Amino acid sequence: MTTADIPLPDDAAGDDGAVESANIGDLVHKRLIKAHFTFAVVFLLTSMTAGFLVSLNFLNHYPFPDVPWLSSGRLRFLHTNEIAYGFLVNAFVGAMYYAVPRMTGRPVASLKLGWFIFFVWQIIVFSASVGQALGFAQGVEWGETPTGFRPGSFDLQYIPVDLLVAVGALLVAFQFLMPLAKAFNKRLYVTGWYLTSGLIWLILTYVMGNVLPEWGMPGASGAATAGLFIHDLVGLFVTPMGWGLMYFFVPIILRTPMWSHALSVIGFWALAFFYPLNGVHHFLLSSIPMSVQYGAVISTMAVEIVVTTVVVNFFATMWGQGHALRSNLPIRWFYTGMVFYFITCLQCAFHTSLTMQAIIHFTDWVPGHAHLVMLGVFAFWNFGIITWLWPRLTGNEWHSRRLNHWHYWLTLIGLVIMFVDLLAAGVIHGNMLRDLVPWMVIVEAMKPYWGVRTFAGGMILIGQILWAYNLWKTARTPKPYDYRVDLVAQEVN
Amino acid sequence: MDRIQSILSVAGVGCFALAFVLSAVYPWAITSGTVTEATIAEVAERITPEFVDLAERYPAEFDRAHPGVREALTPQSVLADLGGSGDREAGLAAWREAHAKSLRRGRDIYVAEGCWHCHSQYVRPVSNEDIRFGPVSTWLQDNNALQRPVMWGTRRVGPDLTYEGGLRSNDWHAAHFWEPRNVSPGSVMPRFRWFFEEGFRLSRTIDPSIAERTGLAPETEYPIAGVYLTQADAEAARQRHIDALPSALRAEGERLNVTPARTLNSDGLSLIAYLQWLGTWQPTATSQED
Ligand code: HEC
Repeated sequence: MTTADIPLPDDAAGDDGAVESANIGDLVHKRLIKAHFTFAVVFLLTSMTAGFLVSLNFLNHYPFPDVPWLSSGRLRFLHTNEIAYGFLVNAFVGAMYYAVPRMTGRPVASLKLGWFIFFVWQIIVFSASVGQALGFAQGVEWGETPTGFRPGSFDLQYIPVDLLVAVGALLVAFQFLMPLAKAFNKRLYVTGWYLTSGLIWLILTYVMGNVLPEWGMPGASGAATAGLFIHDLVGLFVTPMGWGLMYFFVPIILRTPMWSHALSVIGFWALAFFYPLNGVHHFLLSSIPMSVQYGAVISTMAVEIVVTTVVVNFFATMWGQGHALRSNLPIRWFYTGMVFYFITCLQCAFHTSLTMQAIIHFTDWVPGHAHLVMLGVFAFWNFGIITWLWPRLTGNEWHSRRLNHWHYWLTLIGLVIMFVDLLAAGVIHGNMLRDLVPWMVIVEAMKPYWGVRTFAGGMILIGQILWAYNLWKTARTPKPYDYRVDLVAQEVN
Repeated sequence: MDRIQSILSVAGVGCFALAFVLSAVYPWAITSGTVTEATIAEVAERITPEFVDLAERYPAEFDRAHPGVREALTPQSVLADLGGSGDREAGLAAWREAHAKSLRRGRDIYVAEGCWHCHSQYVRPVSNEDIRFGPVSTWLQDNNALQRPVMWGTRRVGPDLTYEGGLRSNDWHAAHFWEPRNVSPGSVMPRFRWFFEEGFRLSRTIDPSIAERTGLAPETEYPIAGVYLTQADAEAARQRHIDALPSALRAEGERLNVTPARTLNSDGLSLIAYLQWLGTWQPTATSQED
């Protein structure tokens, strides 16, 4: 055990339980963060490997066509679920163990609980993937985690993963809401808002999406609920976590306060209000009542306004420090992610229009868009956070800073190729569909695009492997890290 | 927490609740909330001809999945009322139950194998989809227990399956699952070999003199319809064949062989039953306004 792992004695705390800034580093449980980050990277690799394998199926070169539990249909569940619950959740939780105590000056609820959550969560993610491999997936997109019950009944047939996720989310919320709630009294930094709400929304969203479509609502209304679930999971959990952490890490790394606190608050409340109203836009031109669909389209366009305020705020914060993009890799990850965030949301505002829906729905446009969001924005931010924290957590200088740059460029170029490729494929598919081209002709026309997608996916996967190797080597090779080498040079007026 | 903070926290949860009411509860209240959802038994009431055909083609496997059903009423008389028997209703009830069970299981496999990530089940009123696939989907036709969770899908790598029922033969589906590229060259659909099981069937070679006259290869095994799960079953069937031969043709019996063959297993049967059901159920309720 290092000193950093020892919980703080009470007398180190200030009058209201807050710790003096000199000791604040002691509140951070470095080993726990490292453990979460390690598993985040493990699940990142398995998820991306699965994605890469599934893409081979589209080229008729799937390596395990006859192994049921490795079939491409089932691996696709693993690809999305491990990214969401394995990579993103682990990375966010790890980052919160750093951000929350430092921001509030208070320890998290319990270090023991922390380790308990850590182990339980990995078991949950693992048993979700095993359950899907064995054929117990649930028919809700992004919620394919097995309910554990025989479909349509309450007979247990497998580990009830859904239930465990809900309990896990509750524990995570308890862990971080303790320090956050106490800090509420004093001053409220916008990160606190995002994280607090994100943790509560996750529980509500997860329970809603995994219970109602399975046991409550059939057909169109179930689809509306499932659409709301997909959207809330991204909009009310991943996005608040992501932005919350950006509001924490960007000012710290740039050593500048946010440009406008008012814009931050507007951004937060507009997100809280508009984002969840978008849910039904996942099933436009469907048999869900048109009034509901129009509402979703309009609020989707409204979200773009919110997004603009947030992105403007961040770019204004960086004003005069553009050189950080060159000199500081984490900042470059963050801001690249923000540019993609803006593009994604702009895309949303257009492609939810019924005119574009007619063409692009049910085509590769959709996975193209989803990769830009999940990889280009939220994974990029987590790459930045982990890259910034790793030498600080291990105390070791990078094994190779060059490999980190390879990671950045391979991932970025791979993603851009994949995004443009899938968008183009989607538009072509949509037009061929409308023009009543025979199905197999459409499939043949898509194959070159699927080939490019596999190539791009390979680039991304190689990038992650290099990074994982670098993280591992860095942790293993003692070479003292001097944080001053990473300080962003301040502007000299 | 002071008052302002509490108010704001409630507001945060309120945003979630508002969206939940507007985009889940409200659509439910004006659609599924107004008409009772059809149960699986209801949607399985009309037995598809393809389901009966499955029972005829894969009798051994069918019996294993639904014991006693074929004895209760023969497949031939399920569809055509061959008259008179008072047991017909009881037999039909057994068939309907078997049908419902297959639909439930078939749908579960459809979910488990991720078919719904490559196929949609919803026809939109745009992009000529009604010409390509069939009538535009309504919420009423999805208001049944087999659409819970709904199988609308997100991506059409393969075609929409809303109206797949009756479009292809059972054999086509079986061949397609074995190797999609055999029936649709260039297809990227994965094959599903685990829907099949090793079994045995009868086959025969032909009389060498006939072979010589017709130019057919004498060593070729020509299959006889029907697949058996165990070698013993197949041997018994061979014996029955031989016993049924007129004495003049006894020599033909020599050329009957038991050879390994594959049969759909009950998962494969259920999935095909489900596909053949898709789009065949019509809601009876008429409370729809538009
Ligand atoms: C990788 C995507 C993919 C997956 C997964 C997939 N399919 Fe397909 N499917 C296709 C493609 C492409 C076609 C069109 C070419 C063909 O006929 O094989 C197709 C065609 C079909 C057809 C023929 C439709 C018609 O009448 O023309 C049926 C039926 C079908 N699939 C059922 C299924 C079932 C059931 C599953 C799950 C066990 C499944 N598919 C999984 C891609 C997929």
